[in-house]
Amino acid sequence: MKPAPFALERPRTTADALAFLAAGGRVMAGGQSLGPMLNLRLAAPGRVVDVSAADLRTAAREGETLVLGACVTHADIEDGRIAQAAGPVLAALLARVAGGIAYRAVRNRGTIGGSLCHADPAADWVNALSALDASVEIATPSGSRRLPLGDFLTGALATALGPDELLAAVRIPQPAATAGFGYVKHCRKVGEFAHAIGAALIDPARGAARLVMGALERPPLLIADARALFGGAVDADFAARFDPEPADAALQAAGIADPVSRHVHVEVLRRAVMQAAGLQAGRAAA
Amino acid sequence: MNAPLRQVPEGAVAVALTVNGRPVAAQVEPRTHLADFVREDLNLTGTHLGCEHGVCGACTVLLDGEPARACLAFAATCGGACVTTIEGLDGDEVAGELRAAFNREHALQCGFCTPGMLVSARDLVLRLPEADERRVRLGLSGNLCRCTGYVGIVRAVMSVIADRRARGIAPQDGAARALGPVGAHAGDGVGEGKAVSAPPTAAALPPVAVEVVEDFIPAHTFAQSFSLAQPPDAVFAAFADVRAVAACLPGAFVEAEPAPGTVAGGLKVQIGPVAATFRGQARITRDPATRTGRIVGAGADVGGRSSTQGEVRYRVRPGQDPGSAVVELTVGYTLKGPLAQFGRPGLVRDIAGRLTALFAANLEARLAGAPAPAAAPPLNPFALALGALAARLARWRARLTGG
Repeated sequence: MKPAPFALERPRTTADALAFLAAGGRVMAGGQSLGPMLNLRLAAPGRVVDVSAADLRTAAREGETLVLGACVTHADIEDGRIAQAAGPVLAALLARVAGGIAYRAVRNRGTIGGSLCHADPAADWVNALSALDASVEIATPSGSRRLPLGDFLTGALATALGPDELLAAVRIPQPAATAGFGYVKHCRKVGEFAHAIGAALIDPARGAARLVMGALERPPLLIADARALFGGAVDADFAARFDPEPADAALQAAGIADPVSRHVHVEVLRRAVMQAAGLQAGRAAA
Repeated sequence: MNAPLRQVPEGAVAVALTVNGRPVAAQVEPRTHLADFVREDLNLTGTHLGCEHGVCGACTVLLDGEPARACLAFAATCGGACVTTIEGLDGDEVAGELRAAFNREHALQCGFCTPGMLVSARDLVLRLPEADERRVRLGLSGNLCRCTGYVGIVRAVMSVIADRRARGIAPQDGAARALGPVGAHAGDGVGEGKAVSAPPTAAALPPVAVEVVEDFIPAHTFAQSFSLAQPPDAVFAAFADVRAVAACLPGAFVEAEPAPGTVAGGLKVQIGPVAATFRGQARITRDPATRTGRIVGAGADVGGRSSTQGEVRYRVRPGQDPGSAVVELTVGYTLKGPLAQFGRPGLVRDIAGRLTALFAANLEARLAGAPAPAAAPPLNPFALALGALAARLARWRARLTGG
């Protein structure tokens, strides 16, 4: 079980990486998603552009937005090494998601940008950051462009990233101080890809909620009008009025025919909502 | 001493790193992962290889002092890194305490998982604030042991944590670490601003022999439909032209039409980092009276590891607006070979949905008189290819770690 031969480039800068990509190649960051596919020869690119040592290992604050370089690792987030840029609330919330990704040895190398570009529908950042209304900054041959995550994720394992482009950074807005966040995933074995994911960012003070159902073999399903799940309004006692029907209808509309699967996804979303309401403690990870 | 001189393989690159405190400079192929490098080139066989795709944890080593999968780090990307294998932990204080505890608690039997287990256990001892059984078990979930049932291992790790905390040794929080993947350093000279080597060229595709079976019961079926602003008769007529239909499907190609109603061809698909070419044969039957057709075929991936059968039934009916048509597709497929045991119908549906949308747009343009896109085969290998590829992905992912 060895990868097919490939040529390797190790650019130091985003500009160098783009120059390599112009000639063709598959980007690798921490290699925790591409590595297994190479080892199993599911993927056999002629050229791998390893950006793990490039200038993408940064965390900064721009106003109310946390800007994480694409090569920040899950362990960096889990350990709070981005806390200064993120602020305590966002740092704690992201740390909880990061700590539940795969295993520590994987988190030490796996990156937030790599996970988004791989775009596995059951991946944690793909879903958690959709609920947090994150966007991505893409380095292009002619400069850069920004996309909301919802536009970046175009399908299962598919993104809007062009072959000559590189995901440079992830932009995560600071959630409102009055907002609660819930993130629940259903796995049969610790560390495996989830069978269902629910993510909820709920701000009763503003009457707004972003609810996401994930691990659906398609991009995260963001509920267009979350108020319908709470009897028409997101207010202080939203958790008591959670109505599973509109969520189930959204899944049906997305083509999820199996009622058992829909039930699991709706229940996982409900638990995320309860967590956002502070009714259920999040699980810490080792 | 008696090891044969290893030839430097073609395309090898220079890498310099530190292994167990000793500087090492070597020529490695880019595809050589770190575990193979330490085992084969440095004879450090204490690092074990189990699954080689990041799940079992047997190959876990320390990269810059932190645990990492040696099978998922390529040696050529570890220039400047400090690698510590189990052999390098002989004099390590925590590893010493763990060895004594593993011995005391019967925390190993066959020993295959033990090198990786000790590396992960050492990390937990250093990081966990207290001997919390749930967190210890969670922390060891990435290291598979099939002998002990973990009871002894968990007990051993907890006893070392409790003992060290009782001695007043505080947990580490990793605050001082630099951001980014452990073991990734700039300045090791590989690929700096220039192409290191030309990508290997793909070998010519061998022909694939497959047999089309007319009557089979598909294991998976799903339906797709799309609308066109063209009359149903025109759409149905367009479906008669296999090459024209293929030209509307991205990645599809027709190689031959050996007999009327028979077509040989294939489909190139790109899903994430997976690029695959499926080739096969199909038979096509059409019924103009009902504007229906059936394409049944068989295909195989170029590696020949798996074969598939599939069928597409289509029906063209009038749409809601006059002069418009709706095309209804029912796709069924069955997989044989190693891929057959896994299936992710949802992923097939998502990909098929996107390809169908592209196909519909191209067909619409073609019927409206726009120039055809570059050559592409009938719907049949399309369905086959998607089924096979999705199942292949599922097989790989079912065993993979979550991200």
